[in-house]
Amino acid sequence: MEETPKTPLKRSVRIMLASLLVYGILVATHLGEFWPFSIFPMFSQAGNPWTRAMAMDVTGYTNDDVWTITIVDDLPGEHFSMRAHNVDQIDYANFVSKTRNWNPVRVQALRNMLGEHHLENRRVMIYKVRGELVNNDSVAVQATPMLLLAPDTSYFNPNLPHSFYFRD
Amino acid sequence: MERFFASLFKFDRDETTGEMIHFKLFELYMVYHIIWTVWYWGMYTLRISDVVLPLGIAQYIDITFMYGNSLPLVNAALISVLVFLTWFRLTPAWTYMLVLVLMHIQYVARYSLGEISHGAHMTAMTLFCFALGLLFFRSSKESRRFIMGAVFFFVGLSYVSAGVSKLIGTGPFWIDGRHLWLWMGEKGIDILSREGAFGNNWLQELAWTSRGMATLILLSGLLIELGGFLFWFERFRPHIATLTIGMHLGIMATMNIRFDASIAQLIVIGYPWALLFNYMLINREAVRTKTEHLLQKVI
Repeated sequence: MEETPKTPLKRSVRIMLASLLVYGILVATHLGEFWPFSIFPMFSQAGNPWTRAMAMDVTGYTNDDVWTITIVDDLPGEHFSMRAHNVDQIDYANFVSKTRNWNPVRVQALRNMLGEHHLENRRVMIYKVRGELVNNDSVAVQATPMLLLAPDTSYFNPNLPHSFYFRD
Repeated sequence: MERFFASLFKFDRDETTGEMIHFKLFELYMVYHIIWTVWYWGMYTLRISDVVLPLGIAQYIDITFMYGNSLPLVNAALISVLVFLTWFRLTPAWTYMLVLVLMHIQYVARYSLGEISHGAHMTAMTLFCFALGLLFFRSSKESRRFIMGAVFFFVGLSYVSAGVSKLIGTGPFWIDGRHLWLWMGEKGIDILSREGAFGNNWLQELAWTSRGMATLILLSGLLIELGGFLFWFERFRPHIATLTIGMHLGIMATMNIRFDASIAQLIVIGYPWALLFNYMLINREAVRTKTEHLLQKVI
């Protein structure tokens, strides 16, 4: 059996090297993240288009008015503020942008996140918002209405293809 | 290498009372932030019902057992009691390691919706260092020396790693100001969705109107991150701490991302508070007189 290092310094060096080894193995085998170990890759890939999400209260608008892809300044209705409804914006944006298959379970999970009681007597439109660099000197942002949450049911955008909602 | 670690841990230097006070206050800050964090995560987890992106151990076990019941709150309560008792050294040496595991479960239950949060990483790595220190050292002085050295090491490493990731992920042109425009646009949408309104501040206006200024902002951020290794050297620690805090404030101003916990911890570990405590202990009477004099002026 190997002898335990006697001096605190030698023991510390061994502990640090062992910790770094565990750290390295865990992040290398888990795409750079195994909490609390991380390579801190945030913002490491620059220049790529991004996708976020917004929500608008479109109560009172007809279906003809709400399904158009547009710029953010022209969205119909009132802002459905995430903070006002006690929803974490980052969670919401990731949930909308990273969901690959909008099956009934996933749609219900989104309704739960926003709070089913907040959807009583109102219609809330979920938007995917995409930004990209254009002409090398400006950022273009476009909002796509993708899911209408009504009190009793949810609707997909009839103008979008099936593959927009089911990617696997 | 041994020389480097010798200067990092300083086992050969006598420990002052000021250092002991600083250490215990630092641990108190960590305990406070752990308790705050696990309850914050726990309360939010009550509203989650599905996994979008499994992280950590949730890639191997079904973490949905944490949903639809009060387990997140039970876990938060358990962690709170354990860290509180461990601060008083009333628990076995492995308790902080157990807390790290319980906190990992709390984290992966909370962050299963697509976001990979780094808000509590510094606190958790600090907990990891405390767990190692208490587990592997019998002498409390050696344990304290190891913990502080390890914390400085991992804090420095995290910033260097963030900088290197950018150079690997994008290359030297990462600093192109147009990249900042994209991120400002992205975070602007987040703020608009969160608050219902959004307006640029003066720094954002400046960055939007000048690609050169935007590039300069990114360049300074990258250089500060790459300079994170300076945390390993006592002489440079206050300087790099100040620059790093400035970088976090700059990110907050341009991209609306807050780093409260990181800034707080950098303030706690980045400056020679032990010297101040020693001074106050040695010159107790003088400090008392000065304080009374100051109070008489302001009251």
